[in-house]
Amino acid sequence: MSKIIRKAPTEPFKPQPDDDLIICRCEEITKGEIRRAVHDGLRTVNEIKRWTRAGMGLCQGQTCQRNVQNIIARELGISVADVGMITGRAPVRPVVMEVYANDVVDKEEQR
Amino acid sequence: MIEKSTASVIIIGGGIMACATAYNLAKRGVNDIIVLEKKEIGNGGSCRNAGGVRQSARDVRELPLAMYAVKNIWPYLGEELEADVEYRQDGNLRLGKTEEHLDILEKHTAKSTSAGLDVKMITGDEAREICPYMSKEVIGASWCPTDGHANPLHTTLAFYRKALSMGVTFISGVTVYGIKKVKGRARIVETDDGDYEGEKILLCAGYESRKIADTVGIDIPVEKELSEVMVTEMEPQMFSVMLGTAESDFYGHQTKHGSFVLGGMSGGELYRTKSERFATYPLTASCLCRGVIKYFPVLKDAKIVRTWAGWYDVTVDKVPVIDNIPEVPGLTIAFGFCGHGFGISPAVGIAVSELMLDGNSHTIDISNLNYDRFKAKA
Amino acid sequence: MKRYEVIVIGAGPAGLSAAAEAAKKGMKVAVFDENAGPGGQLFKQIHKFFGSRANNARMRGFKIGRKLLKEAEENGVEVFLNAVVTGIFEEKEVMVRIDDTVHHYKADYIVIATGAAENMVPFKGWDKPGVMGAGASQALMHLQGVRPGRKVLVVGSGNVGLIVAFQICQVGCDLVAVLDAAPRVGGYGVHASKITRTGVPFLTSHTIIEAKGDDHVESAVIAEVDDHFTPIPGTEKEIEVDTVLLAVGLTPMNQLASNAGCRVEYQEQNGRLSPVTIVDEYGETTMSGIYCCGDSAKETAEGASSAMLQGKIAAEHIAADAGYTTEADAEEKAEEYRKTLDQLSGGMFDVKNKGRMDISTTEEGYPISQSLLRHGYITAEELKGFPAASYEADGPHPVIECTQNIPCNPCRDVCPAGLIHVAEDITRIPEIDYSQKCTNCGMCVTNCPGQAIFIVDNDYEPGYATVSLPYEFLPYPEKGDKGKALDRSGTPVCDAEIVSVRTARAMDNTAFLTMKVPAEFADTARFFRKG
Repeated sequence: MSKIIRKAPTEPFKPQPDDDLIICRCEEITKGEIRRAVHDGLRTVNEIKRWTRAGMGLCQGQTCQRNVQNIIARELGISVADVGMITGRAPVRPVVMEVYANDVVDKEEQR
Repeated sequence: MIEKSTASVIIIGGGIMACATAYNLAKRGVNDIIVLEKKEIGNGGSCRNAGGVRQSARDVRELPLAMYAVKNIWPYLGEELEADVEYRQDGNLRLGKTEEHLDILEKHTAKSTSAGLDVKMITGDEAREICPYMSKEVIGASWCPTDGHANPLHTTLAFYRKALSMGVTFISGVTVYGIKKVKGRARIVETDDGDYEGEKILLCAGYESRKIADTVGIDIPVEKELSEVMVTEMEPQMFSVMLGTAESDFYGHQTKHGSFVLGGMSGGELYRTKSERFATYPLTASCLCRGVIKYFPVLKDAKIVRTWAGWYDVTVDKVPVIDNIPEVPGLTIAFGFCGHGFGISPAVGIAVSELMLDGNSHTIDISNLNYDRFKAKA
Repeated sequence: MKRYEVIVIGAGPAGLSAAAEAAKKGMKVAVFDENAGPGGQLFKQIHKFFGSRANNARMRGFKIGRKLLKEAEENGVEVFLNAVVTGIFEEKEVMVRIDDTVHHYKADYIVIATGAAENMVPFKGWDKPGVMGAGASQALMHLQGVRPGRKVLVVGSGNVGLIVAFQICQVGCDLVAVLDAAPRVGGYGVHASKITRTGVPFLTSHTIIEAKGDDHVESAVIAEVDDHFTPIPGTEKEIEVDTVLLAVGLTPMNQLASNAGCRVEYQEQNGRLSPVTIVDEYGETTMSGIYCCGDSAKETAEGASSAMLQGKIAAEHIAADAGYTTEADAEEKAEEYRKTLDQLSGGMFDVKNKGRMDISTTEEGYPISQSLLRHGYITAEELKGFPAASYEADGPHPVIECTQNIPCNPCRDVCPAGLIHVAEDITRIPEIDYSQKCTNCGMCVTNCPGQAIFIVDNDYEPGYATVSLPYEFLPYPEKGDKGKALDRSGTPVCDAEIVSVRTARAMDNTAFLTMKVPAEFADTARFFRKG
């Protein structure tokens, strides 16, 4: 991540007409919640995720990440390249605990 | 671009200790602060823990911080920071399945009660009354009703947001190389973004702190240790206690959101520290799932949506170092929280702000967390 | 622990190609795919592919998929389906969920070929049932055999949107319109034209602003947008649809690459920033021994065809590194594949040209049809400038309405008379060799992936001409069927009668339909509608 200087917001939060638009479907996080968080000083997609839960649901941000990044970038007037990315984490597809608990190490055949 | 690079206080590290201290300093009128963070706010242990706010089974040396935080700060923290930190004070159960487990629990309980904490041993059935979903395998537990849990992500960022609104400057994306003394006092913080200068410097950069402290000749025996947490999808609200086990096969709780946050180790992690990234260990989640299902069979169908790893900054004697460094006037350090820093972080913020402004921590006794305890007996 | 020399994640075009190539060199290879069927997106592609013979041009996607799978299995690749790779750990350990078990495998080399996921664009009601990705609708249509809806609106006119929109018509849904916020159709003009002439409008400079309905989509509100893509007040229109398909781009599925520690970053691609997994010229990521190819690395032109070549290049490099082939041989092969890749990536639709509004002429200097860009069809007037489109001859002769630089040359390959010529650079527009005579075999018409070739016979009967066209809608009309001829814009222009319906194996389920029209409509009648 490049350098970011963070200071207190100087202007009050300005609502927008489409603030109630759902951006993260899994966690039902709206555009307004994300914009508000950005206004309050959260600057990266990971910080937004930790604060709002956008990108924390079943799809782990596969669907919403780019839209969240776009909102952050637009709010701050910066490039989406400067708002970071969600790190891919195992399991990249959800796994039921009972199945996870049932892990096997297949034996190598003798060669 | 020329920006301000001098301040009354420079804080190295942008985790919860930094945010809580910055907030407490600002509350006392000192807001000419620059916090330097290498990556993102709360990227280290602050956002990589399971959110325990626990006094039981704590080392007595850090118990004053824990008891102060639980009594005087946590219940009011959300209101103070104008954020939902999801604090729940519904108790902590530490579970045992064997006689050996009960032994371990009894020893901890004895130590904690002698330090004035309300904690007691209960039977398996009593534990099941508190938490009905528990398997019959549990034969006993230690019970501390005043323990609880909170959301570490929200708490860290709430401290940050509040400190920011009080005028503190945070700069992320800056890597600190070291500290340089000027006329015998800690003064300059050397970074990949040039020098920052402060009258006082706080070093609270988790496991990264040791090499930075080394640059002014202070070596604290702290190493990093990988720990992992797994998170389930949203489940119906089942229980709100904080859970741990005598065997330490897992710990965790159900969050306000409904997901379970469950952490622990499988044993191999210590040998996997060569990577600089937060890579999880391939056997850990499976191991944790087996552990959890033994205690809570009901969770077997819950879906794990992610696992993540973080490093504890573990000192040789398993409690943090929070102290002013007389050899390097102007430098205060607070690190080595050994994986149980989150619960005490709001109290650490107060203690450190007092160390920095008043020269000593007068509200909370942290005298056993002094930096020069690691040495041969005089 | 069980170890494979190569573990490939994803049984799509990139993955299967890499696996087959590595196995051919003698390597022990496993492919894991989370889907029940192999082939990735290929198995959802029922259209004929563009390109040249080297990349299976004019073969339908799912057949390419089958061919690849066969090739992989014949060479000893173990293909595991319903096998979900859930993580890549240090020392190239791969965790795979199969049924109710989690397996740990090790690999010497890993190839990540997980493809891309569809972008979603948020608008009011976008989370309602009935709004879905265009690719998701393909899965419904071609894998499950289910129509995605009755009345369908497609948002996005890139090639994915155009291909899916045509298929929506093929499966018998009512395609209401294709929208694009840009002032022009994004994908191949030929793809658009085959939709337009069936009577479906293209609405460029339009966007969807709301999907309405109680518990599912019942209508969509669309509006015209200005130069900044902002809806113009007062232009809102509510149209009755029950399905909205979004075809607004793809994002690489890079979670596994990221999980493995490979560098993923935003890079400028086609005028906007896209997440890209950083790879070298062989597809190796920043993690040694871990490769990433196909759409999971980054967007390319002719995605599946490029992916196959990228997979092969990665396999060559892996085999050389593991000592199964020499570096010189691997490099020679890779160079050959790269040349084919270059062929595919030329032309005005190359990724580097995407979003460009300033391309006004073809490489040959012909003006590009503005009507085609704006409305999805070329006007008769504009066509006149293209020699192969205004070719006149006695008796049946091809009229090739291919007016953009697209990487494709099957028309040349299939013409037995040698009448059609495409330059070595296959993005060039086809030309006619006037010394040869058309045999009216219909191969060019039915094999052109863009369905842009017609055979016209102006001398069919006194006062009547015939127009032969490619036809892919069931049921096929029968000889003697009467109806209307539609022009390129989809407007009925005259009566028409089917005089011949030819099918052949070599036409691969594209019928060669000949309709009789009054002679004066020979240049305009381009589609047949019964009744």
